[in-house]
Amino acid sequence: MSENKERIVLDVAYQPQVRTNTDTKRIMLNVILALLPALAVAVWQFGVYPLALAVVSMASAVFFEWGYRKLMKKSCSIGDLSAALTGLLLALVLPPSAPLWLPVIGSFFAIVVVKQLYGGIGKNFLNPALAGRAFLLASYAAIMGQYAVPNALVGSVDGVTMATPLSYMYGGTALPEYFNFKSMFLGTIPGCIGELSTLALLIGGAYLLITKVISWRIPGAFMGTVALLCLIFGKEGYGNVDWMLYNLMAGGLVMGSIFMATDYATSPVTLNGQLLYGAGCGALTVLIRYFGGFPEGVTYAILIMNLCTWAIDKGFHRHQFGVTKEDIAAEKAAKKAAKEAAK
Amino acid sequence: MNKILKLTIVLFLVCAVVAGVLGVVNELTYETIEEQNRIKTERAYAAVLPSDGYEEVAFDEEANPTIDAISKCTNGAGYVVMTTFSGSQGKITLAVGVDNDYKCTGISVISHSETSGLGANAASTSEVGVNWRAQFVGEDKNIALSKTGGNIDALSGATITSRSITGAVATAIMAVESLG
Amino acid sequence: MNIKKQFKEGLITNNPVLVQLIGMCATMAITTTLFNGVGMGLSVLIILTCCNVVVAAIRKIIPNEIRLAIFVVIIAGFVTIVDLLLQAYIPALSDALGVFIPLIVVNCIIIGRAEAFCQKNTVGASFFDGIFQGLGYTLVLIVMCVFRELVGSGRFGGGLIDISNGFRITMDGTGAGIQIFPSDFGATIMTLPFGGFITLGLLIALMQYALKKAAKKKEAQEMAEKEDED
Repeated sequence: MSENKERIVLDVAYQPQVRTNTDTKRIMLNVILALLPALAVAVWQFGVYPLALAVVSMASAVFFEWGYRKLMKKSCSIGDLSAALTGLLLALVLPPSAPLWLPVIGSFFAIVVVKQLYGGIGKNFLNPALAGRAFLLASYAAIMGQYAVPNALVGSVDGVTMATPLSYMYGGTALPEYFNFKSMFLGTIPGCIGELSTLALLIGGAYLLITKVISWRIPGAFMGTVALLCLIFGKEGYGNVDWMLYNLMAGGLVMGSIFMATDYATSPVTLNGQLLYGAGCGALTVLIRYFGGFPEGVTYAILIMNLCTWAIDKGFHRHQFGVTKEDIAAEKAAKKAAKEAAK
Repeated sequence: MNKILKLTIVLFLVCAVVAGVLGVVNELTYETIEEQNRIKTERAYAAVLPSDGYEEVAFDEEANPTIDAISKCTNGAGYVVMTTFSGSQGKITLAVGVDNDYKCTGISVISHSETSGLGANAASTSEVGVNWRAQFVGEDKNIALSKTGGNIDALSGATITSRSITGAVATAIMAVESLG
Repeated sequence: MNIKKQFKEGLITNNPVLVQLIGMCATMAITTTLFNGVGMGLSVLIILTCCNVVVAAIRKIIPNEIRLAIFVVIIAGFVTIVDLLLQAYIPALSDALGVFIPLIVVNCIIIGRAEAFCQKNTVGASFFDGIFQGLGYTLVLIVMCVFRELVGSGRFGGGLIDISNGFRITMDGTGAGIQIFPSDFGATIMTLPFGGFITLGLLIALMQYALKKAAKKKEAQEMAEKEDED
C-alpha cells in the first residue's frame, strides 16, 4: 500500500472496434431516399394515387411489424425502418391501379409470414417485398395484370388499361410506336409503380453505390447476364442490340436488380458468391421471359436465387484471415494423404 | 424351406380372403357405379344440349385425335362431342353441343387445370364464366376470337385458354359435319 | 386400456398429422373445401378403424417376417372397398377426392398405427386407437379446409352446406357454402398447393408452440409441488 505503482489500464472492448455511423436505420433510410425518384415518376405519370398506395403499404407494413412484435412480447423493431422499406418496395411492384386493400394483404404476408415468423430482420430467407408480390400475383392475377394508361399515352390508346412493353415483346405482336427507347428510359410507359423509368432507378442506384449501401456486383452481374443472353439469343423482327436494350429497360429488371436482389439478408456475403447469385438471377429471368407462362420473370428469378443463397455462400466459403493459398493447398494434400492412408 | 413354405401359404391365404371379399363388394356395387357414371355423363351432355337420351356414334378417330366421343341425341336435336385438348396449363375436357345446322348449342368444361382467377374462369359458375361460355351459343365452325376477326372475346389475362377452347369447339363442329 | 388417455393422444398430444407428421400428402392436396375434408377424414377414420381391428385380431397368428406384406394387403382391401362404396353411393366425393382415395393405401397413418400400436395391443384398444387417431386426422383436415376456404375464396362449408333454400347439409357436394365475403377478395393462392403447405406449416408451428408451453407449465407446477414437499 505504501507505494502507488502506476499501472496502465487497457480498455478492452468487444468487436467491432471500428465505429462508423452506418447502422440499419441509416441504410434503410438511404434505400428509401434512393427510391424517391422512381416514385416521383409514378406520380408524374399516374397522379397522386400511387403515392396513396405507397403510404398505405408502408403504414400497414409498420403496423404489422409493431403488432406482431408486441403480441409476441418481443423488442419493438419498427425504428430501424426496415418494415417501412419493405412496405415501400411492395407498393412499387404493384400496378398503379391496384385497390388500396391489396398492399395491406401483401404487407401482412411479407412482414408476418415471410419476415417475422422466421425471426425478424436478417433472418428471413426470402425477400419479404418480393414474396409479398408473388403472393398477390398468384392470388389476384386479374388485378395484378391490369396496367393503367400513363398520362403521356392518354389519347393515343383506347381504354383505361393497356398491355406492357414486355407483353408485346413476348406476345408475338410487334411493339407499338409509342414504346421506344426514350419512353422506356423516361418512364412514359405502363407498368408497376416503381418500374417505369430506367433513368429514375439508375439515379437511385447511383446514390446507393455512392453511399456504399450496395456494391456493383449483384446488379452488374444480374443485368450483364440478361444483356449477354438477350444479345446472343435475339428475336426475329428486332435487331439484337435493340432487343437487348428493350429487355433491359422493360419490366422490373432494373428495379429488381438494384433494389430487390441486393437485400442483405437474402443475398450471398461472399464476393464471388454475389457474382454467381446475380448471374443466376439474370439467367433465370431470361429463361422465364423466353419460355415461361408470364411475360415477366424477375420476381420469381430473384426468389429462386434467394433460396440458393445459403448454398452459394457454402460453395464460396471465405478463407480465414492470414491463410494463404499455399496453406490451403497443403491442407488439402494432407487430407488426401490421410484418406489414402486410411484405405 | 419349410419356413418359406409356411410364409407363402399364410400370405396366400390372406390375399385369397381379401380378394374374395373384394370380389363380393365389387359384385354388389358394380351396377350402381355403372349407373352413376351414366348419370354423370348424361348430366354433362344435357347441360349443352338437352335430350331424352344419347347414343354414341362412330367417327373418324384418326382424323380427330382430340375427340373422345360423339353422341347423337335420340330426340334428333343434334350431337354432343366430348373432347380433350391442351389448355395453357394442362389438359381441358370439354362437352360441346352441336345442332343439326352445325351450330354450337353450348359448352361445358368437364375438367381442367387452368390458372385460378384467369383461365379457370372458363369453367367457373360465376357471372364471368357463365357470360363467357354463353358467347359460344350459335357459333359455327368459323368461330374465332375477336382478336382474329371472330365473335368470341377472350377471357381477360387468359388468351391461351380462350384460344384453345375456341379451337376445340371449331374442331368439334367440323367433326360432326364430317359425320354427314 | 385407458380410453381417456388414448382420446387425448389421438386428438392432441400424439396427433397423427401435427405431431407424428404422417399422412401429410393428402392433407395438403385435398383440403380445399369442407366437403372434401370431412369426406377424406371420415374415409380414413373408417379404414383405419377396420384395419386396426383386423390387424389386432390376427396379430398373434401372422408370422413376423411377412407382417408388413400382410398389413398392406389388408389395408389395400379396405381401401378398395371404401373406394367402390364411395363411387357407388357418394360419387361427388369420389370425383372430388379422385386418386387420393386409392392412395390411402400408402397413407402412413394406417400402416404406421398397425405397426406401432395394433401389433402390441388388444382388439378393443386398437379399435379406440383407430377411432381417435382418425378423429385427430379429420379434425386437422377440417381446420385446414375451413381456413383455406375462408382465406382463399371467402366461403365456409363449400360442397357441404347449402343455404339457398334454408340451412341444409348436402351429401352430393352441390352446396354452394356460405359466402362470408366476396370471392374476389379471397387470396386464391391459399386454394392452390402453396396454401396447403403454408397452412400445414403454420398449424404445426402453432401446435408445437402450444405443446411446449403446456410442458413448461407442467414442469413449473411440478417444481412448485416438489418445493412444497420439501
